[in-house]
Amino acid sequence: MSREQKLLLLEIMQYSFALVETNLYLDTHPYDERALKLHNSYSQKYHELLSLYEAKYGPLRYTQMSGCPWAYINDPWPWEIDFDVI
Amino acid sequence: MNYDYYDRNKGMQLARAYVPFQRLNQVFEPKEALMKGTLFPELYMPYKGKGEDLNGGRYYE
Amino acid sequence: MWIYEKKLQYPVRVYSTNPALAQMIIEQFGGADGELSAGIRYLTQRWTMPTNQAKAILTDIGTEELAHWEIIGTIVWKLVKDATIDQIKGTPFEAHYVNHGKSPYPHDASGVPWTAAFINSKGDPIADLHENMAAEQKARATYEWLINVSDDPGVIDALRFLREREIVHFQRFGEALRIVQEELDRKKYY
Repeated sequence: MSREQKLLLLEIMQYSFALVETNLYLDTHPYDERALKLHNSYSQKYHELLSLYEAKYGPLRYTQMSGCPWAYINDPWPWEIDFDVI
Repeated sequence: MNYDYYDRNKGMQLARAYVPFQRLNQVFEPKEALMKGTLFPELYMPYKGKGEDLNGGRYYE
Repeated sequence: MWIYEKKLQYPVRVYSTNPALAQMIIEQFGGADGELSAGIRYLTQRWTMPTNQAKAILTDIGTEELAHWEIIGTIVWKLVKDATIDQIKGTPFEAHYVNHGKSPYPHDASGVPWTAAFINSKGDPIADLHENMAAEQKARATYEWLINVSDDPGVIDALRFLREREIVHFQRFGEALRIVQEELDRKKYY
């Protein structure tokens, strides 16, 4: 995996994680408007990054579109990635 | 909605456990949050690491 | 339903080959207080849990635990994937290897296979939430013991992440308990 691809994936992982945190917080604080604003801003950024990544490198989810051949199966799979860019 | 609703005038009863509600304050940047394992500074309680005392229960910094 | 996203939750780095350590890490793959137990436990309890908040928390933390199970499997695999037979022989991993090769398998560090007997779901929301809070503390403690015996900085880093998640999960289950207690009190009087 190229350094560029790894760095973009890492950024996606960072926003994805931020969303998990706001998700869990909102599950027990559903009326917290500040938290909702924060969650929504992370969501927007996350989807932008994801669209960028999937357009360039193929889908990360089975629901997305792909060129031929079906790029969802491409390596590396998540447990094969060496995150040496950190 | 005001979360104090859950605490105000309720009092605490015997034979019950109470964990205080977290109140959203500051957040780490996503990059730092992922490295630390939480978005919230008030929930960040890193392991001090093995000292001479190998008994558990000390998860404050 | 569940959708898979083709990425790990945390960027796992493993710098060494260490089958003996892999056998210890596997405790969180198939052990009583491990990530598989946590995921199955919380997802199992959903059906009888009152309040939308608690149903959401069980769903979302249960799902996150499966992502952690994937991280642990990855750490185990990275620790053994390049191991020679000589590196495996004489370590606790040798027993795992003769049955499963280098493939992670859900048993604990002593080889006890994962079983539903590791989890509880009483159908009583107060009991279930206390079970979950206890589970998060046990997982947190297990990660501390694992950090104590690990010497690979990448592995330790990932273990610290997973340990911190247990603390956050404990807080959320504690809040869910407050919400459910409140709801059950309310229903008692009205």
